[in-house]
Amino acid sequence: MRAVIKNGIGIFSPQGFLDGNNSSILVTFEDIEATKKLNADIILVSLKKVIFFNRNGLDIFVKLFTKIRKDKHITVGFCDYDEKKFNAIKNFYANDLNFSLFQTKEIAELFSPTYSNDKRDVLIYTDDKSQNSAIAIELHDNGHNPILAQSKQDFLNKKNNFDYVISNSILGCMGNSVATRVTGNAIIYTISTFLDAEIGNKFNIAYHNNSLNIGFKLFIFDAYKVVSMNIHALNFFSKLASYSAEYNATICFAGLSSTKFPESFKETLEDSGIIFFNQMDDILNDEKQLKELTGVTSVNTKNKRHINKATVSELPNLIDATVATIEMMTNAKALKESVNIQEVTLKNHTDMVASSIGFYGDLDGMIILVFPIDIAKKTCELLIGEETDDTDMILDTLSELVNIVGGKMKTILSDENVNINITLPRTYQKISTLLENTKGRKGVQVDLAFDGKKFLFFLTR
Amino acid sequence: MIDLYIQKIPPAPKALQKTIHYLNIGELTKASSVAKEDLALSSYLKSIVNKPIYGFRNNVSDIPQIFGILGVSGAKQSVYNYLLTLLSPDKWSLFKLNSNSFHELQAQLSVKWKIILKHLNIIDKDIESAITLLPASIIVCDALFGEKIEDVNLLRSVNNLDFNTILMRLCKFDLFDICEEISIKWEMPENISKIIQASSGKKESSEDSINILGKWMHLLLFYELSQPIFVKAELNDFIDFNIEYVSDIYEEFAQLMDIK
Repeated sequence: MRAVIKNGIGIFSPQGFLDGNNSSILVTFEDIEATKKLNADIILVSLKKVIFFNRNGLDIFVKLFTKIRKDKHITVGFCDYDEKKFNAIKNFYANDLNFSLFQTKEIAELFSPTYSNDKRDVLIYTDDKSQNSAIAIELHDNGHNPILAQSKQDFLNKKNNFDYVISNSILGCMGNSVATRVTGNAIIYTISTFLDAEIGNKFNIAYHNNSLNIGFKLFIFDAYKVVSMNIHALNFFSKLASYSAEYNATICFAGLSSTKFPESFKETLEDSGIIFFNQMDDILNDEKQLKELTGVTSVNTKNKRHINKATVSELPNLIDATVATIEMMTNAKALKESVNIQEVTLKNHTDMVASSIGFYGDLDGMIILVFPIDIAKKTCELLIGEETDDTDMILDTLSELVNIVGGKMKTILSDENVNINITLPRTYQKISTLLENTKGRKGVQVDLAFDGKKFLFFLTR
Repeated sequence: MIDLYIQKIPPAPKALQKTIHYLNIGELTKASSVAKEDLALSSYLKSIVNKPIYGFRNNVSDIPQIFGILGVSGAKQSVYNYLLTLLSPDKWSLFKLNSNSFHELQAQLSVKWKIILKHLNIIDKDIESAITLLPASIIVCDALFGEKIEDVNLLRSVNNLDFNTILMRLCKFDLFDICEEISIKWEMPENISKIIQASSGKKESSEDSINILGKWMHLLLFYELSQPIFVKAELNDFIDFNIEYVSDIYEEFAQLMDIK
């Protein structure tokens, strides 16, 4: 069984009955290794569809938690349970509960460093006072508004006035890795505690480079939870900012109070081009500023790599991965119309959306997919189960689709002993933005048609 | 693709039709005589009734004796189970099953379904046979998704969708609709397909009596699919387990199956 990852949360969803006989088959050694490689901030086991479990049934998951924590230092635990299941877990692991319990997946999301920035009003009441405080502090750190109920009656009286209520939840050890998420076209890294030379190990520089390469222009460090930083971390961020500037990309810090580090540090970082904001909303909710920072009209100085022979030689595999995935997800047949080496060229791009995803490792490059909005909508129908005209939802689904294409590419190439990793996808609501970003960059353009509708595949580096 | 699959479903062989006909009118001896002539059916019946779940101390190999032990409804259930095996693939591609483990699933479901019906005080040949159609959903799933398994797994790696939901969203037709088509083609009693549809956990029946049976069957299916042999076969999450649908009968089920 594998965890399904969304918004930085990886969830295992066993079904039916969990006991010592079947759970060790549900989670194998390979599953544990695969989970370690996931880019997740929280790993959870949902008990929503488990009707019966005993301690032996849960033990295999608890062992998984221990291994993941040891390797990745991220939050682990169970979610989606009722009061009866909650009490059973507490009884099983009374003095040995070193994982977290979240009533629902939605409550777990409140604690995820990579989930939504929306501030939520949350009412808390548990039997354990130290838990109440721990939950409140963690929620506050994540930008929410926690309120502690004074008694059970107080909790019952107030519970209908809050976005979320937390009662049957327990926080175990929380994560402390550098988490990554994409909001619009900005990449947000979450950093916490004391920043020292370790940041160089925790930060995935290859990932950052490839995000620069596929055209991301704004990188925000969510630094609310940073306690302090030393000279080594200062040097790291200065170098990162200078390097990113070569791609016309900007680095910002949100929520890093000046009391947490010397004034001279701030000056050095500002000299490197880093911009400071008091809070995340100051960047994300200011559309004009966001547009400027994402550098729509700027021209890259370094980002002009052209396609090479090694990448072109994998073109058939990459096309196959794309076509097979889209055919499967839309139930439509693809027809190849033309192949040319050129810059991205589109005669008509109304009612089109696009997404790009980078890959790196034994081979590096980027694919761009330009879809008719109808195909994107059809994909939405499969993934969310209903038709929608909500642009954000369509773009979000497009990201999932491109992620699946990336996963397929990874599988096909690994069969040929070519190992790659993929970046987070970037989406484009306006094709003009895509054209601006890829200006001057040649690649292989394959024009396809799905059930008569034009579709563009572009491979470059 | 679904139309093609339904078209390819073979009609029930004449010998089986005749055996079922005799069982329907209660002619156990005549039914066993016809069944005896069909070597594949005889061999299947011998292998299935000698599984430990049937609890016979000695090996039973005589077809009239098997029919005698099983009784009319048990014999009919076994013949339908055999009919289902005609649809199962020689080599499973999506699930890690083989003929032995598939027969084991059929046997486990059949015997436990009988226990449930006894508990519910239901004596009805057709209802007893209904369980035999349930594994058809697994056969159909393997046939439709087997060739695309890598693509489907990638899809499932970003979105926790079960096979039934994927099929429904792509084709507006689900695994249990195909089971119903099979039951029509094989002229199975109408009640069977109604119970199977309710057992999907997605389509509650308007008839209370059918709905109750659908709930018990849904829970029984997940009880069986949680057994190590079927977890290993990767059957545990091929359809969605609707825990709310069965919550009102769970305690009764747990007592009946001695779950502690």
